Amino acid sequence: MARHMFRIILLGDSTVGKSSLLRRYTEGSFIPAPCPTVGVEFYSKMMELPPGIKVKLQLWDTAGQERFRCITRSFYRNAVGVLLVFDMTNRKSFEHIIEWYHEVASIQIMEKVIFLLIGHKSDLKSDCKISTEEAEGLAASLGIGFIETSAKSNTNVDLAFETLTNTIYEALKNKEIDLQEGWDGVKVIHKRTCNPQKKRRKPQEKCQC
Amino acid sequence: GEVSSGRRGRPRPPALMSGTLESLSGPGFSDDVSSLGSDSEINGLAYRRTDKYGFLGGPGTGWLTGVGNGPQGLSPLGGTSSHLFPFPADPHSQAPAGSECVGSQPRSVQGPAWQPQQRGRELWPGSAWSRDLSGSPRPSLSCACRSLPAQPRVGAMPATRLGPQQDLYRILKAYTIYRPDEGYCQAQAPVAAVLLMHMPAEQAFWCLVQICEKYLPGYYSAGLEAIQLDGEIFFALLRRASPMAYRHLKKYKIDPILYMTEWFMCIFSRTLPWASVLRVWDMFFCEGVKIVFRVGLVLLRNTLGSVDKLRSCQGMYETMEKLRNLPAQSMQEDFLILEVRRPPCLTRGRCPGAVVSEGLHPALPSPTGNNTPLGGPKKGGAKKKEKEREKQEKERERLQKEREKQEKERERLQKEREKQEKKEKEKLERKQQKERAKEEAKQKKERKVSMRRKEAKAPPRAEDGGQDGDPPAGSVLQDTYF
Repeated sequence: MARHMFRIILLGDSTVGKSSLLRRYTEGSFIPAPCPTVGVEFYSKMMELPPGIKVKLQLWDTAGQERFRCITRSFYRNAVGVLLVFDMTNRKSFEHIIEWYHEVASIQIMEKVIFLLIGHKSDLKSDCKISTEEAEGLAASLGIGFIETSAKSNTNVDLAFETLTNTIYEALKNKEIDLQEGWDGVKVIHKRTCNPQKKRRKPQEKCQC
Repeated sequence: GEVSSGRRGRPRPPALMSGTLESLSGPGFSDDVSSLGSDSEINGLAYRRTDKYGFLGGPGTGWLTGVGNGPQGLSPLGGTSSHLFPFPADPHSQAPAGSECVGSQPRSVQGPAWQPQQRGRELWPGSAWSRDLSGSPRPSLSCACRSLPAQPRVGAMPATRLGPQQDLYRILKAYTIYRPDEGYCQAQAPVAAVLLMHMPAEQAFWCLVQICEKYLPGYYSAGLEAIQLDGEIFFALLRRASPMAYRHLKKYKIDPILYMTEWFMCIFSRTLPWASVLRVWDMFFCEGVKIVFRVGLVLLRNTLGSVDKLRSCQGMYETMEKLRNLPAQSMQEDFLILEVRRPPCLTRGRCPGAVVSEGLHPALPSPTGNNTPLGGPKKGGAKKKEKEREKQEKERERLQKEREKQEKERERLQKEREKQEKKEKEKLERKQQKERAKEEAKQKKERKVSMRRKEAKAPPRAEDGGQDGDPPAGSVLQDTYF
């Protein structure tokens, strides 16, 4: 069985909750008012797809502020999945989604990227400025999926990442995404190549003793 | 001693003094009294004589040197020493006892010590700060306030308190007014937050201005070119400071931007434990950006600098994970400072007596086989190695030249900026002088009248009273400072 590695990047305006979403997903925790992300942060999680396929997700959290784009931009190229996150209580963050989409489109070859639109902070129902229908409309026009999530109440967080991973895997299976040398969006590691590494490691451990 | 001499002439802000005195008798302090013992002990401490920097140990006690063992009676962190300075000078920044006394420096003097030469203040006499902030062009600061309560390892500010958050908001907003061309950068918030824990808001603002303009010029500007450039320089320096870490990071394509952005932009305030943050900041204010580089190199060296350490992080993910959770020991205050203080040996040429172990200073070809691959030494590799060495040397020279170029460029930019500043300053001064002259002319007329009255009323100054009154109020307060 082969092991897969997918690289996923989270994009969206600052304070929409990218880091909270990731922290909820990878660590299961929620901090009410976290520090703004500076630069790029890195998370990782193993996931098992139904047919028993192990996928390692490399999750890149980015700073949402405009001036960090020059740094974060260089990471678009090597991503296979993009979560476009907006805050459901913040109209501007929704309007900027198109910008984020084109930002990736200008750098990455579109055939290779799987997008998913995330309406975050769905627990704040009373403050919602964007209706589900409107968000779904945008997602449909871009040809991508849409999920409402909340890191605070832990709704749909796992579902969002699972959906994205599944979509990527399906695309991979249907050869819609082709693997290329030097592109780190998807890595497939066959177990046979793992073995020699293990053999090499063992004697070293003995030496240490 | 030597470092602080430049501060002698500066008057202490009275607010800080009174803040400390208040805090000693404040309600929070009484909670800790039980652990100290008798009341008389506290009184003894409170009135013990201190030197002009607020130390108990007399001159040369390691003030801001970073390595000193600390003044008498102050063990670095912990013990009863933490009760000596139960609260920082600024009443805004009350922190739980225990995080207060840091190494060689009492918290209560950190505030004034951190305030650098405030040229900006002369240029802009309070106007950026005192201007009504409500009507100004609004930057997006919605996330700014968040960084204050959530300082990860600090725990000094309860999230419910509004005061410090508002102060933080004000500082950052004031900066965007002061420098509309620069605007607000997310990374400024944690820096301002640390400053706010040590000084009143206005001083923190001017301190932030100094950091953004003098200490780390361009770090927070749009485009973030300076930080990217320093990232490359940092990586080039790492090649000398710890070739092993360098090779490892290069192997797994881990760009310096990935790990050093937060380190540098937040000056480690979100990376290191609080005690170490304070020590690093002490040195940073004294010596500038090179301290940030050094701390970064030390951290990498102690995380990825040896075969042993690298064994557990084969792979990009593992390495990133390790860099996110740096070994606690390498961040520990005393260890870190000692390492940072070591002669750097980053300069070219021989470094006599350098200890080559754990990849500490392997700028030179290591006789202990530090560069040998995992499988042990191989015969016949000597020639190859020599060639490699030559290559490396050439590469080093090239980098050195590049760096020099970059530095020159920086200096040039700095000079240009200074010129502009001077011009602006002159303009402002001229304006002020005119205004002053006008006012003085007015006042003179008024004074003439009032002086005549006063002279008649006021009693002649007593001679002994005059002697007491001569030194600035600060020095009188200082004896009763603790």
